[in-house]
Amino acid sequence: MTVPVDGGQRDAREPARLRTLERVWANAPGWIGQLTAVNHSTVAMRFILTGFAFLVVGGALSMFIRLQLAWPGNEVLDPRRYAQFVTLHGTTMMFLFAVPILEGFAMYLLPKMLGARDLPFPRLGAFGYWCYLFGGLFLYSSLLFDAAPDGGWFMYVPLTDATFSPGRGPDFWLIGVTFAEISAVAAAVELIVAVLITRAPGMDLRRMPLFAWAVLVTAFMIAFGFPPLILGSILLEIQRAFGFAFFDVARGGDPLLWQHLFWLFGHPEVYIIFLPAAGMVSMIVPTFARRPVVGYLWIVLALVSTGFLSFGLWVHHMFAVGIPLLALAFFSAASMAVAVPSGIQVFAWIATLWSGRPWLRLPMLHLIGFFAVFVLGGLTGVMLAFVPFDWQAHDSHFVVAHLHYVLIGGLMFPLFAGLYYWLPLASGRMPSESIGRTAFWLVFVGFNLTFLPMHLTGLMGMPRRVQDYPMEMGVQWLNLLSTAAGFAMAVGMVAILVDAALCFRHGRRASANPWQAGTLEWALPQPVPPYNFASVPEVRGRYPVWDDPAVAARSAGTDGLLGDASHGRREMLGTGLLTAAPEQVIRLSGSTWQPLVSALVIAALLACFLAKWYVAAAVLVLPLLASLLVWAWTTGDRHAAPRLAATPALALPVQYASRNAPGWWALVSALLIDGSLFASLVFAYFYLWLGTEAWPPPGMASGAGIAGWIALALLLGCWALGALSMRAVRGGRTGIAAVLLLATLVPGIGFLALHLPLVAELVGAPSRHAYASVVWTLAGFHAVHVAVAMIIAGFVAARLRCGHVDAVRPLELRVAAAFWRYTVGQGVVAWAVIHLFPEVI
Amino acid sequence: MARVIAPWRLVGMAAPMAVWALHFVVVYSVQGLACVEGWNQAMVTMALLLLTVVALVAIVWLGWRAHRAAAACAGTDDADARRRRFVALVTALLAVLSVVAVVFTAIPILLLSPCA
Repeated sequence: MTVPVDGGQRDAREPARLRTLERVWANAPGWIGQLTAVNHSTVAMRFILTGFAFLVVGGALSMFIRLQLAWPGNEVLDPRRYAQFVTLHGTTMMFLFAVPILEGFAMYLLPKMLGARDLPFPRLGAFGYWCYLFGGLFLYSSLLFDAAPDGGWFMYVPLTDATFSPGRGPDFWLIGVTFAEISAVAAAVELIVAVLITRAPGMDLRRMPLFAWAVLVTAFMIAFGFPPLILGSILLEIQRAFGFAFFDVARGGDPLLWQHLFWLFGHPEVYIIFLPAAGMVSMIVPTFARRPVVGYLWIVLALVSTGFLSFGLWVHHMFAVGIPLLALAFFSAASMAVAVPSGIQVFAWIATLWSGRPWLRLPMLHLIGFFAVFVLGGLTGVMLAFVPFDWQAHDSHFVVAHLHYVLIGGLMFPLFAGLYYWLPLASGRMPSESIGRTAFWLVFVGFNLTFLPMHLTGLMGMPRRVQDYPMEMGVQWLNLLSTAAGFAMAVGMVAILVDAALCFRHGRRASANPWQAGTLEWALPQPVPPYNFASVPEVRGRYPVWDDPAVAARSAGTDGLLGDASHGRREMLGTGLLTAAPEQVIRLSGSTWQPLVSALVIAALLACFLAKWYVAAAVLVLPLLASLLVWAWTTGDRHAAPRLAATPALALPVQYASRNAPGWWALVSALLIDGSLFASLVFAYFYLWLGTEAWPPPGMASGAGIAGWIALALLLGCWALGALSMRAVRGGRTGIAAVLLLATLVPGIGFLALHLPLVAELVGAPSRHAYASVVWTLAGFHAVHVAVAMIIAGFVAARLRCGHVDAVRPLELRVAAAFWRYTVGQGVVAWAVIHLFPEVI
Repeated sequence: MARVIAPWRLVGMAAPMAVWALHFVVVYSVQGLACVEGWNQAMVTMALLLLTVVALVAIVWLGWRAHRAAAACAGTDDADARRRRFVALVTALLAVLSVVAVVFTAIPILLLSPCA
């Protein structure tokens, strides 16, 4: 793909420069070296491969389930095993397949579509991968101990509390899934920052590929949607481990709180899966319609509004639990409203195909499957949004049919379309049309014959999650059909995966841009070099390759932005959030053991917790902190000059000197996630309050007293010291700034020393009552933040002393001061909830 | 504050839907609270409708502002103005959709008594 520009006049230094780029961006050699890889293409490929591996495992479980249900009275699985398999199947498909594989696709494709060299936080991506892998292995290791979780993928209490599930099953679930979710949250931060500030110059908001819009919205949804589940999992785990009382009715708790927290995550989750898939569709359809997408603006509108509306649906999973009718009607209304943006997108895709010259290649075939299946699933979704119908169909196989139509229609078919579409990019070879087509028809027909009959069996009264059904129900033939077709679908899926794997060895060599597509990833040579673009391209439209085919040759040469890597550092370009004008040069970290070490320490810590070796788990916090501090100390290039040359003529600030630094936006996104976690906790507090007679219950108190007010004043002192430190560094007095920042430790420690004993005095042990539990959790949650803020302050003070932070490069101090502001703000809210609210009601 | 949610910024683009979300949460919470505390049902219905009117006014204002911003940027070839126009148009359309969604939420308030 080295097409010469303008009659072959190329810089004579180019071959040497390309070799330098190759050397700087390559992973370390050998198997051991692979463990240190952080490059986004490598890490994303691991996400995708691991995701498909879990798909195979989860699929195998579903084959057992189908065998058991093939005929009444089967004894393939006993009831306990059946419950375990159903639980693991759902959990695997949601947490270990759907979300991670979409993260993998997003991590692989996004930088290439945006014209970037890498994602802005390569080590975070690698760390997320290890967390995902270890979390998944954790969950499956329960099978070795004969302790697989069996409470359903939604883990309803009281079934999963210590009384009714005394074994370790729920602990494996809660800890394993939360561990794996670290990767989702980390990916959210990384993808938000990538879309906001690492787009190619000229790619302003109206020129962003639709996949990038979809990923941006999805990442924000993860930021707001995952924390309620993480919080719920923490609450349930500390109830199981330490006898807290959140969900225990006898001690003022409420099991419905779990359902709210779970579905507050669980419904947005469906759209967290669907939106990136829809983004893929919006990329593939224009290519095969051979024209730009129709209604770009309308699709953006649909993506953004779906991101919001999908949060107003969660109670529709709880229509049958006895909530007042009017409240149900609110959620019913939102459930129907969310069909509007989905409809807009489908019409935009149809219009694109209608007005183009459609080309029915393999990816397009899967998209047609997607249209058919997803629209049917959407329609049964609108049916279920009606409360009276839902009461009839609730907990029956009708719901199983609906959810598989939505998830397989909304995720699997677009995913397979995307797999085939982008396969040449990764392999440099074309997939086989013949095997691919046969496999598609097996999957499509198999899928419909598996799940279409379930609408009927459900309406005839066959319940979900039960391992048997009576012959008198008359559904045995339909079930036998489902089972047979299910196996056909499984064969089809395996064929697709084998086909994709074979393509890497045996596929026909792909020509450049084999589908004649228009977006930037197709300007890359295939297979893609580790640095993606030798020079960062500049774009002037939505379809840069269609607008100007020469962009491929220009970005493969080293004459443009960041073409010279003789400094030996990985560099990428940072651009303006709205305008996409070049703003900064971002120096990235290279291959390192840090992510793997940190993830291994967390795995050890969680394993100790699971084994109930709480002291060992607490001790392991120290190596974890040490590892994270080393990580933070070695981030990027702390010795970089304040200004770096992007081209010989263009010098830009390094990220530490830039206002829109990736680190700053990472902080903003991380605080959004943390704020959502905190908001979920405050929600839990008020939810428990609503359900309890006396608040606080007899024998407990809430007043702040003098100690409480002094503690509050000390906390505000931390804010002031942080702000003064910021001012000092802006005035060039780094020494004073370091002292002021370090001084925040005094009021910080003072606050903790006053406030925690005060809480102990007011409410006593957390296990006494749900009130004590939630007050302790609020106070403890905030105390952890104060401790983290103090560690950050100490760290940045050391960086100031060592000269890595100064008036020109204030980024890290900005982060430390902002974290203090957030911690103080959160503390004021928590303090008011704990000490003022019960006094004023 | 008004600058932060300017209709050509991403935060401004999210603003109309954020009002929908706020309205949704407040209406749902007030209704839940009212039923537990046993407040006067007619008063609760009135309060919920009042909240709906407030939300609609806020969204219409945001949408109207976005529409004006889009109109002001029309007819130029300048890349900056076209980008602003694009985001402002999306904002205006999101405002329309938010109005629909708020009205959707509010219809049951008229039809049902709060704690049935």
